Amino acid sequence: MVAIIEKRDLRDFDWVLTLLAVAIAAFGVWQIHNAVPTESFWTKQIFGIGIAMIAFIIVAFTDYRRLIDSAPIFYIAGLVLLLLVLTPLGVTVNGQKAWLRLPLVGQFQPSEFAKVPTVLMLAKYFAARKAGNLKLKEMLIGVSIFLGPVSLILLEPDAGQAITYFPILAAMLFLSGLKVRWVVLAAIAAVVFIPAAWYVGVETGKIKRYQQERILAITNPDQVDPRGYGYHTIQSTITVGKGGLAGIQGETETSQSVLKFLPEPQTDFIFAVTAENTGFIGCVSLLLAYALLLSLMIAGARDASDRAGMLVIMGIVCGLAFQIFMNIGMALGILPVIGVPLPLMSAGLSALLSTFVAIGFVVSVKLRRFVN
Amino acid sequence: MKIGDQVQNLGLRVIAIQVIAFILLGLLGARLYYLQIVKGDYYSERAESQRVRFIPIPAPRGAILDRNGKLLVDSRPTYNVVLSNEPLKKINVNDRIEEYSRGLDLDHQFVIERLNLIRQQNEFEALVLKENADMKDIAWVESHSLEFPELRVELQPQRFYPHGTTLAHVLGYVGEISPAQLKDPDYQEKGFRPGDIIGKGGLEQYYDEYLRGRPGYRKVLVDSKGRVQSELEVVRPQSGQDMVTTIDLDIQLRAEKQLAESVTKRGTITAMDPNNGELLAMASAPSFDPNVFVQASSRPEGRKQIAAYWQDEKRPLINRAIQGRYPPGSTWKIPESLAGLQQGAITVERSNLVCGGGIKIGNKFTRCMGSHGSPPLSYAITKSCDGYYYRLALKMGIEGVIKMVEDFGYDKRSGIDVPNEKVPTTPKSMMAYVLKKEGKWSDIRTVYSGIGQDTVDVTPISMLRAVAAVGMRGKMYVPHFLREFKPIAAIGTEGEHDYFPARPSLSFQHPEPKILEATPEQWDVVIKGMWGVVQGGGTAGSIRIPDFDIAGKTGTAQVAELGKDVGDKKDHAWFVSFAPAYKPEIAVVALIENVGFGGSHAAPAVKGVYESYRVARGYVPAPTADDKAE
Repeated sequence: MVAIIEKRDLRDFDWVLTLLAVAIAAFGVWQIHNAVPTESFWTKQIFGIGIAMIAFIIVAFTDYRRLIDSAPIFYIAGLVLLLLVLTPLGVTVNGQKAWLRLPLVGQFQPSEFAKVPTVLMLAKYFAARKAGNLKLKEMLIGVSIFLGPVSLILLEPDAGQAITYFPILAAMLFLSGLKVRWVVLAAIAAVVFIPAAWYVGVETGKIKRYQQERILAITNPDQVDPRGYGYHTIQSTITVGKGGLAGIQGETETSQSVLKFLPEPQTDFIFAVTAENTGFIGCVSLLLAYALLLSLMIAGARDASDRAGMLVIMGIVCGLAFQIFMNIGMALGILPVIGVPLPLMSAGLSALLSTFVAIGFVVSVKLRRFVN
Repeated sequence: MKIGDQVQNLGLRVIAIQVIAFILLGLLGARLYYLQIVKGDYYSERAESQRVRFIPIPAPRGAILDRNGKLLVDSRPTYNVVLSNEPLKKINVNDRIEEYSRGLDLDHQFVIERLNLIRQQNEFEALVLKENADMKDIAWVESHSLEFPELRVELQPQRFYPHGTTLAHVLGYVGEISPAQLKDPDYQEKGFRPGDIIGKGGLEQYYDEYLRGRPGYRKVLVDSKGRVQSELEVVRPQSGQDMVTTIDLDIQLRAEKQLAESVTKRGTITAMDPNNGELLAMASAPSFDPNVFVQASSRPEGRKQIAAYWQDEKRPLINRAIQGRYPPGSTWKIPESLAGLQQGAITVERSNLVCGGGIKIGNKFTRCMGSHGSPPLSYAITKSCDGYYYRLALKMGIEGVIKMVEDFGYDKRSGIDVPNEKVPTTPKSMMAYVLKKEGKWSDIRTVYSGIGQDTVDVTPISMLRAVAAVGMRGKMYVPHFLREFKPIAAIGTEGEHDYFPARPSLSFQHPEPKILEATPEQWDVVIKGMWGVVQGGGTAGSIRIPDFDIAGKTGTAQVAELGKDVGDKKDHAWFVSFAPAYKPEIAVVALIENVGFGGSHAAPAVKGVYESYRVARGYVPAPTADDKAE
């Protein structure tokens, strides 16, 4: 692989984006260590970054156009993995069958790995369509591509992961000439239908008690089941607030995570750990780093040499931005507690690998921004 | 292909996405600013309060000793099962009621009470669920530590009364502060918390401030399950002060034995040093075991026993010496004799009054038990002539009797250093009631008041104090139990929050004795009459002790009318006394309920107390086993 890297490739390679992503991941390793200093999650994460970098380099130096051409293969492979999860090969954790254990490969989360193939599949389809306003038929086909993995993920059921697929579809439709009036209509419909659906769901019992509590915990965490989801929200909020301006800077003896007040500190609530350890200064720096990361990627989309490359980058941007917002919003007690990892930060090989592969695509697109 | 070439404002759409992403990140930044900068201190405190626990270190309560250093009350180490608050917040406590009461053999209702109580406290978040846990309980808690992380076993000193029912009324007992007391501003001021142990009744209550130690605490770091991670600070407790009482345990035991051997086994014997008011013994029967209150209040059978004490018609929880009120009968004649002399109704030279076998008021004739002619005062005392005192009371008038009540302090508490003393009922306190009910104070009431019946109901302690004052020729001391509180050294560093100042030694603060004014001849004639009761062929001649002259007076207090005074309605037997008659060292009162004649029941009981006193003082050797066998 290295042999085919040309000199020009190294010149055009986006070093800033790459180093920024690695820097955030390294910062994440420190926070994972802060979260549970006595466990080896942080060393595993370093190992994960190593593997992810290899995948990243392979993807980055491969012509994305060839990969997009093969999108259906990846897409179908993703669907197969998601189907396997539902078979006895799937591993049940906390009532969710979201993991797959395969011989030699080990345990991983297919819903993470199906994300990039879905982006590629959607990009391939929407890039090929003719210019002009999006037609209903085109939209339905796009939705069908999207529903493939999402419906399988909902069967696990892992609503949190399923939600992260929505912004990808939304980005594709929006950037494929969806009429603005439809966008506005969708926004209005959301404002009207979501509360209505909530009301009907609660009244008919379709939305289960524990699901309701996840939502209610945000508005009034002290009242709603302080032992359950309310407890997570309360403890996460306390942990973040406790950080103050500069945080406890690694003095974790009395930290919320070490004393086990904060649940899932190295994964879902890694941002709360960051907030406790580095305070407002560290958190704002991290937010700025994410903003810069997204901006660099969007710049790549603008310069993309073809429509497919642009769509791939923007699909990835929207997916990542949404996950960042969902995860941090949950840690700050303004969004419900759903298990969405914080990209590049949360401990976990699957998410790390998936994210670096996605960024690899972005770098690959940027590398080939000059039309041959 | 460049983005600008595209239709549908593609460039604008990408910018729109970027702007939305930035707005969302900005929103997160604003929320971060609110949580960390605006509310940072608040959340820091919340985090600290959930990870820091104060575990109280109980302070040993001071021991109580008799005047010779014999142990009366002590604390001994016991294991308690303690309930912590924090883990309970995360569980449904109703699930626990059944488990606790089964596993620890606790009363169902009691467990509910404890769970309700613990939810009301915040800082010291632990409460004793079961005191005096045995090995079975400890094993149960240990084996369920994963299931019930809120339970733990703590070593704690527990009050122990080695002599059981002995002196129970004087000592009192300890127990957890009651919910009513917690709401009382007086207690709140002293910083009491739920679960604190305080004195209830007796010396334990009266001197609680001194006996009680100042608890310390361990400030510890805990995890979310309430498990201790490390110790942050220790504030050592300061133990309470040891109390040396005026009680002589040997005399006390003898007094209680006398009551136990009496016919009804109900009554009181109290002994006092008339020279200073030090109480040597105070027995009240029937008695109770304070250990039941301390050890068993959380167990079903213990609660049953306590309820039985409260419901018992013999009223074992009453300290008859200070809370029982009885007609004094003929013992009343002692203060009355002195008052008659003081007020001039009779004189030393001309003290004779007619007996007449009784007196006729209106058309009702009230009898004397004998026919004594026209006796002088000493003889009237010795023979307990009722006729004499009917006439003396009439001569003094009810105003004179009330003056006597005031002079001898029957209208007030004695000031004894145990709580809940009752004030006697006298013509003074009854006057308003009688006048309201009958319109006038009739002569027959005055006559009865002359022999300690009808409107007169006094506490044995008030009787003892009055008679002791006669023995002391007018010096009336406040009866008390405190000799000394031992000093305790300071704990911690001065000026620091863990500092408990030293507690100095303390002895009873004697008020000036109350003085009864009378001439030496007046005292002589009264004391001579009392001497005669034992030594001069009087009503208690049977208790005479060679070389130890007792001055006394019997009393037989009528409970029901003549003819109905049988069984439970039999007369109360009284004996009041001091000895040696002309240089008193000890004064003793005995009251035995519903046994009959004072000379045959109360006086012999008092004799036993004098005998034990003489042994205690070394006047005579202790009886050997051979003597007892006789």
